[in-house]
Amino acid sequence: MMNATMNENRAKIAKSASVFAAETLDPIASNLDHTGVYPRAVIEQLAAEGFLGLFLPEKWGGTDAGFASYVEAVQALSRSCAAVASILNNHVLAAHAIDRWGNESQKTEYLAALAAGKKLGTLATYETGSTPGVGTDALIASRHGTGFTLTGTKAFVRNAGAADVYVVFATLELAAETDGMTAFLVDANTPGLTVGPELDTMGLKGCPVAHLTFLNVSLAEGTLLGSVTGGTAIADHLLAVGAVAEGAQTVGIGKAAARHAADYAKHRVQFRHPVAALQAIQTMLTEVATDSHLAWLGVQQTAQLIDSGAPFKAEAAMVKAFLARFGSRMLIEACQVEGGLGISETAPKGVRENLPLARMFRDIAGTTLLDAPADFPDKLIAEAIA
Amino acid sequence: MSNLNSRQQMARQSAKDFVAHHIIPHAAEFDKSGEFHAYLLKLAKPSKIFAMAVPKDYGGLGYDATTQSLVLEEWGYGCAGMGTTLAASILSMESVLIAGTDEQKARYFAPMVAGEIGAFGLTEPSAGSDVGAGTTTATKTADGYVLNGAKCWITNGSFASVHVIFAQTDPSKGTKGISAFIVEKDRPGFALGDVEHKLGLRSSNTVFYSLKDVHVPAANLLGKEGDGMKIAMKTLDMARPAIAALAVGVAQRSLDECVKHLQERFPGKPYPGQSLQFELADMQIQVEAARQVVRHVMALRDAAVPFSKESAISKTFCTDVAMNVTASAVRLMGSYGYTSELGKFMRDAKIMQIYEGTNQIQRLVIARAVLAPTPIAVSTLKAGE
Repeated sequence: MMNATMNENRAKIAKSASVFAAETLDPIASNLDHTGVYPRAVIEQLAAEGFLGLFLPEKWGGTDAGFASYVEAVQALSRSCAAVASILNNHVLAAHAIDRWGNESQKTEYLAALAAGKKLGTLATYETGSTPGVGTDALIASRHGTGFTLTGTKAFVRNAGAADVYVVFATLELAAETDGMTAFLVDANTPGLTVGPELDTMGLKGCPVAHLTFLNVSLAEGTLLGSVTGGTAIADHLLAVGAVAEGAQTVGIGKAAARHAADYAKHRVQFRHPVAALQAIQTMLTEVATDSHLAWLGVQQTAQLIDSGAPFKAEAAMVKAFLARFGSRMLIEACQVEGGLGISETAPKGVRENLPLARMFRDIAGTTLLDAPADFPDKLIAEAIA
Repeated sequence: MSNLNSRQQMARQSAKDFVAHHIIPHAAEFDKSGEFHAYLLKLAKPSKIFAMAVPKDYGGLGYDATTQSLVLEEWGYGCAGMGTTLAASILSMESVLIAGTDEQKARYFAPMVAGEIGAFGLTEPSAGSDVGAGTTTATKTADGYVLNGAKCWITNGSFASVHVIFAQTDPSKGTKGISAFIVEKDRPGFALGDVEHKLGLRSSNTVFYSLKDVHVPAANLLGKEGDGMKIAMKTLDMARPAIAALAVGVAQRSLDECVKHLQERFPGKPYPGQSLQFELADMQIQVEAARQVVRHVMALRDAAVPFSKESAISKTFCTDVAMNVTASAVRLMGSYGYTSELGKFMRDAKIMQIYEGTNQIQRLVIARAVLAPTPIAVSTLKAGE
């Protein structure tokens, strides 16, 4: 239910995220992009400000502010540094999985630590095969006494190496037992689990991405998240929630790019006038502003559906599909407005400011792409409208 | 079916071989380091490919425009950054071809035939799209000119042995007061600044330089005083289809890599779903159409027919296609696209929509032709109007 108090809370959270972004993220964003070193101190600061627990119950140190508030924070943070937002999103999704499907002992073990930033979490969903469970290096779980043994690989895991706990999706060896995946909570220091070399990503530098290799990783029964046959439903849910969170991240980048390009256009004089006076430039800025605004409405509305417990997967898929089409285009246009400065990785002679658009161009591609196959939303949407 | 003659086909084949052996294997490492690919100049020297636009009379290969575009497409297929070095060197030569005397041509082209490169110095911090707003000046002296000012975003700037540089000989006349000069790199007062770090085309050298009391002899003036803007516009007319050709190569490469990835990832499944099939078909439609747009403008140029409008169309269409197709390829490959060389193609394509005249400036040129009261060739319009 929408009401004035909720709106007020959301606005408050958006405001505090904006302040945090300006004070803490703006000064480090460019350097983080250049070094790519995981920003542990910043994540601790995010935790201290309560951003890790927005979507967790008060019982575990969260503020139970809801997902609609959470996306406000993500959008605001992404305007300054999408890499940090990406670390946050993956962490929050892992915590959400434990909150929703974990048993009391799992919650006790992880949630307070995740909310406080004492532990970092993430999801390990994808595989190199065409679908999870298929392919030579699929992650296969076999029963071993009361527990399980896992062998295989999870691909493109974000927060890899930095995370203390992974929500891992594996396929049970006996296909007859289940037609889907099984979810496990795997501690980073579990013997047999190794993090591969960090992959060379185009953007979101600082949010590490790597493959995880499991070699006879022995897991006790207590690591099972949800039921043995429940993994696919968990993965589908997280994929949809994640699409909305990443939608907020994309919108944040797009809105910041539109703002920056508009400021540039107001000051850049060519043909004796600021280029902002040219209709063609106005049209380009208008497209970026329109696409990011409409996407934001979709993100907010879907986040409210999530909070209300209503079905939301088709709407989440639409956010994902919309931004797969228009996300990168926002930066293609914004960079075009700024011309040479729009494609500068460092400030050229005579330019004082750090130029963010080249980084944003690379970051927005990563936000809309580094997850799930690009055509996944279409099937969900088609089913929903059939 | 190909309507290329056998010489053109041979030139394309040898470019393909060169690119396969010397460009494709090293493109990613130079993109990563951002260092200039000096090795390539050495390797390319025996073939004189950097002098492919130089007429045979001056020791060059004397390729026609069509053949040049075939070579450039192959270089774009390998690495648009490396291809940009070749295209930008030719760009500087076009000014000399257009306005140079025999003596100037012989002097300018000799180093090119010997495997060196040139650069074209037009853009200034205050003069990007607004070319006429440049403040670099050339003051007449007893025996020549003294140049003062600064140029930015100059491709090949650090490595070119000769530059074509535009400066105001009469600032009171605006664009009609601009003149073009040949400036050798070792002239006192010519000082290279920082190399720019770019989103894409990273191994292509882009530099800022300043000119402080740089003396050039009168023999280095191209054409007459005040001809500069006209020379620059004609040069860009000739050079834009070169960027278009590079862009076709970039787009084709992205499509090829995308298809290769899909086939490797889904072995035994020759056909993906219809939406993916259609996306791939759309990518191929765009690439093939773009290629034909380049062929068309080059055929006009080879036939000595005005091609100014078609030049602007080719640059705009082909670089927009490259942007679309590279972005689609990255998207279709998802995480793989984002962590592979496909990202480079997308970053490279973005700059191609901007350099050598933004696609917005091209559209102004095209619109002017479209809106002409009686349809006329754009090339009859006076430059700078």
